[in-house]
Amino acid sequence: MRSTRLAATLAFMIAGTTYGQGRGGPPQPSATAKAAALYDITGYWVSIVTEDWRFRMITPPKGDYTGIMLNSDGRKIADSWDPAKDEAAGEQCKSYGAPGIMRVPGRVHITWQDDQTLKIEADAGQQTRVLHFDATESGAGSWQGYSKALWEMVPVGRGVTPVGSLKVITTKLRPGYLRKNGVLYSANATLTEYIDRVNEPNGDAYLAITTTVEDPTYLAQPFLTASHYKKQPDNSGWKPRPCSAR
Amino acid sequence: MLRKVILAIIAAVPLLAVYLFAQGLDFSGRTNQPAGVDISGTWYPQPGQDSGLITASGALIEYGGIPLNEAGRLYALAWSPSRIQGRQHQCMGYVPPYAYNQPGNLRFWEERDPHTQQLLALKHYWQISEGTRTIWMDGRPHPPAYAQHTWSGFSTGRYEGNTLTVYTTHLKRGWIRANGMPQSDEATVVEHFIRHGDRITYLSVVNDPVYLAEPFSRTYTLGRNVKEPDAWLYACDDGEQILGRREDQVESYFWGRHPFLREFADSKHIPLLATLGGPETMYPELIDKVSDAAAAEAPARAELMPSSGPPHASRAADPDPHDGEVHVLPAQGNLYMLVGDGGNIAVQIGDQGAMVVNAGAGQISDKVVAAIQKLTEKPVQFIVNTSFHSDFTGGNVKLRAAGFDPSVVGSFFSGQFADAGKGATIIGHQNVQNRLTAMKAPSEGWPSDTYLQARRRKFHNGEAVETFHQPNAISDGDSIVHFRRSDVIVTGDIFTTTSYPRIDVKVGGSIQGEIQALNNILEKTVYKHDEEDGTMIIPGHGRLCDEWEVAEYRDMVVIIRDRVQDLIRNGATLEKVKAARVTADFDDRYGANSGSWTTDLFVEAVYTSLKEPPKAANAN
Repeated sequence: MRSTRLAATLAFMIAGTTYGQGRGGPPQPSATAKAAALYDITGYWVSIVTEDWRFRMITPPKGDYTGIMLNSDGRKIADSWDPAKDEAAGEQCKSYGAPGIMRVPGRVHITWQDDQTLKIEADAGQQTRVLHFDATESGAGSWQGYSKALWEMVPVGRGVTPVGSLKVITTKLRPGYLRKNGVLYSANATLTEYIDRVNEPNGDAYLAITTTVEDPTYLAQPFLTASHYKKQPDNSGWKPRPCSAR
Repeated sequence: MLRKVILAIIAAVPLLAVYLFAQGLDFSGRTNQPAGVDISGTWYPQPGQDSGLITASGALIEYGGIPLNEAGRLYALAWSPSRIQGRQHQCMGYVPPYAYNQPGNLRFWEERDPHTQQLLALKHYWQISEGTRTIWMDGRPHPPAYAQHTWSGFSTGRYEGNTLTVYTTHLKRGWIRANGMPQSDEATVVEHFIRHGDRITYLSVVNDPVYLAEPFSRTYTLGRNVKEPDAWLYACDDGEQILGRREDQVESYFWGRHPFLREFADSKHIPLLATLGGPETMYPELIDKVSDAAAAEAPARAELMPSSGPPHASRAADPDPHDGEVHVLPAQGNLYMLVGDGGNIAVQIGDQGAMVVNAGAGQISDKVVAAIQKLTEKPVQFIVNTSFHSDFTGGNVKLRAAGFDPSVVGSFFSGQFADAGKGATIIGHQNVQNRLTAMKAPSEGWPSDTYLQARRRKFHNGEAVETFHQPNAISDGDSIVHFRRSDVIVTGDIFTTTSYPRIDVKVGGSIQGEIQALNNILEKTVYKHDEEDGTMIIPGHGRLCDEWEVAEYRDMVVIIRDRVQDLIRNGATLEKVKAARVTADFDDRYGANSGSWTTDLFVEAVYTSLKEPPKAANAN
């Protein structure tokens, strides 16, 4: 009797495991990323700067890297930040790279560039991010790097509307700043983001952007943050402005 | 044979599993949530973001990014950290979302119906303040507005995509941040828990009509504990942190005289205007607004004082449904709170006749009587009046007539009073009877059992009932009633949740007596855990409370008294005191510009009773 129960249990587990693999994972290859979108993130959004306010809204003093686990090399570089040098070198956009741009106060305009590509334009620093749902990685290092995107699905029952998150992994980054006061990330940095949309009872909608920056060169631990944007009805307040090193 | 059975089962079970899954059922029995968003387990706040604000506070005058309205900013500007050392503040609990900005461990677990395995609730415990929370997932409605508020509030949740969304009401007054930025007891919170593997992104939106100009949204992240942590407790017991502090001393800063006004701004090289908060400090446009620090100085200075103009009216919802019905709420032990006929009515039941504290306004007394009769088969035996005001005595005649006091039948009283035993006995301070007599109120509604001393005691329905006279509070005849075993105190209008205290100077009320009365209540209360539960308070008007709300109310009236006193010392007239808007940080919660009790009348009562303190209550 005991062996019968054991066999049944094993069979049940195998069935569940096998079936579970079939219900998660990426959408069917035939569906475009746009068609498979779990939610709509297009439109104009404004950053609500309520997290790390004093580091984001006002450029913090040199050496103030509270909350970022820099290693000794990272601290050394942060302690020697000189915005004048960045300006002289034409590198005012160092804090507008992909690991930092979504935390810069400003507005973003998100559109589908094509069925497999999302585009995020930021008025701050006039930057453009391109999120590729196809897997043709290419290009040299740049402020915005190369971003691969996917709809990461959460397993749900058959017949249930798929759920999940937009996941973006960005590499091939040109070295830049996590914070405007010279807290550096290297070309080895990897940025992982989840971009989720939530809707409020009063009709407001927010994008929650959860980020992890890993950089074996300058960070002793991953830098974990979350920030958010609020949906705007139109492009009011859209104000493109150049990068600033200060 | 056994082998055949096993093979048959092996063949059948996957088919069963597929069938179940096609029905939208999960193997674990979760029938109403997408798998993968389950947040059960233990979590910790991830370091990095806002690390300078964890455990609570941040600096004084660090309000940037918080959409405070004028009342919220002024409340924070007046707040002194020394207030934390007050007895009722040392063990203050944490409200969401502030509770997640703390360094302790968190645990979530599911509560399921044992018979159906349907998800009933998500339970939650946070180490800091040993807070517990229930997020109801079974679709139940939120309680009525006159129900108790707690640190965790009343939460209902649902799954939306990969997100758990929670809606919370019935919160106590807590913190946006414990540097003085308040979250009012009128706030509601929407929270989104979005799980990404071993990480939860938490996005909360606070809607607070009292202290916020716009919804306050923010994110935070939690990480899953790799192993079960051993740190779960955070005991708190209040003590005497500052010896010799007067009972009526509540530390606060006068507006415009904050000793640390620029400390944060200067140390971080931030213009003062940006540090004062407000909705504009959340948006990118702030950068341009404060780019010229000199130009930003004048608007910053203007934000340090109340704006000119009339007082703001309360934005708080009225907890009384005003639907012509009587609503019954169990308070604690033998006590019930009846809402709907003017002032709140307390009803104690037991094996003797009901003891009722206050009789309501008398507009719907028949329904009050009917509601009491549903609670007990015994007649109303005693009616205690905490005041002569018509909201509490208007129903005396009808409730008395519907009652019966067997204790006087056949006693020597029956020889003295023709109507002895013909109705309930009305008890009150002698000054209540004096006032009702002077008002020519119907004599059947006068207290026939009066007292002159400070304490009137009784043992009824199995518990001690103590009535304490509070001289010169709202009037000269106020009392509070303490049901000791049930541990419920009925305060009359000495404490309400709906207005400033209705101090009636003409009949002996005073601000100093009001403060003393509130402190007398607090002398008798205990909390069960972190300023919650324990002694329950039935206020004259408004919702069921515990000692926290009384302490907050006491703090408020002390702070306002101190401001008025300071202006009087500097020679201010009543008109100047009113123009100074000394109540500006509380008006959005308690203020009124119309009706029988306005903010101006309250300020006038404070001013008058400070200028001409009443003589001791005198029952002639």
